[in-house]
Amino acid sequence: MTNKLTKTLDTCGTCCPMPLVNSNKAMKDLKSGEILEVIANDPATCDDIPAWCKRTGNDLLESDTVDGRYRYLIKKA
Amino acid sequence: MKTMAIVVRDDSYDKLLTPLVFAYLEASEGCQVDMLFVNWAVLALTEEGAGKIKIQGKYADQDQFVREQVTKIGLPNDINKVIKALKETGKVSFYACSMASNIFGVDENNLIPEAEGIIGASWFLNEKAVKADHCQYF
Repeated sequence: MTNKLTKTLDTCGTCCPMPLVNSNKAMKDLKSGEILEVIANDPATCDDIPAWCKRTGNDLLESDTVDGRYRYLIKKA
Repeated sequence: MKTMAIVVRDDSYDKLLTPLVFAYLEASEGCQVDMLFVNWAVLALTEEGAGKIKIQGKYADQDQFVREQVTKIGLPNDINKVIKALKETGKVSFYACSMASNIFGVDENNLIPEAEGIIGASWFLNEKAVKADHCQYF
């Protein structure tokens, strides 16, 4: 089943803390069940995003690498 | 973690960045962060003092380079602007230590509006640090 994106956030060019700071901001605009796509090129997000999801209760649906960029699909709790 | 207390004592630009970034991260996740600025760091809570903050010591000549790198990662490279960004989260409270304020000439007239006020260390330690889920000292 394909996950329908609600919003995409491109954080490329920024690094810790900004991908998480901006993901949090973006998530505030979403309703429960809606999906945020985060694109990043900071390798630290590989650990930070899953840890953030675990802490916030948001569901990390997918994480992969596309053309050297990290892509995360996060469903808001 | 719902609350975090941070005590900052150094006013060197690079040494202020870490506690401010940690506060920004936690605040953006909804954590209440209370920051006490002691010693020289209290000057960061004045507009004039924040404007004079530089990297000190053996890395002093790297100040401009570090600021350029900070800008690249998406943060304001000016301490006062970082403080404003943190304040905008609605989750960070800045306190000036009363002893440090007395020593370094900080009062209600030059304290930035983002700061909650000048308070005693005892109050902060008992009401914020002891009760916080996590406490850090820089």
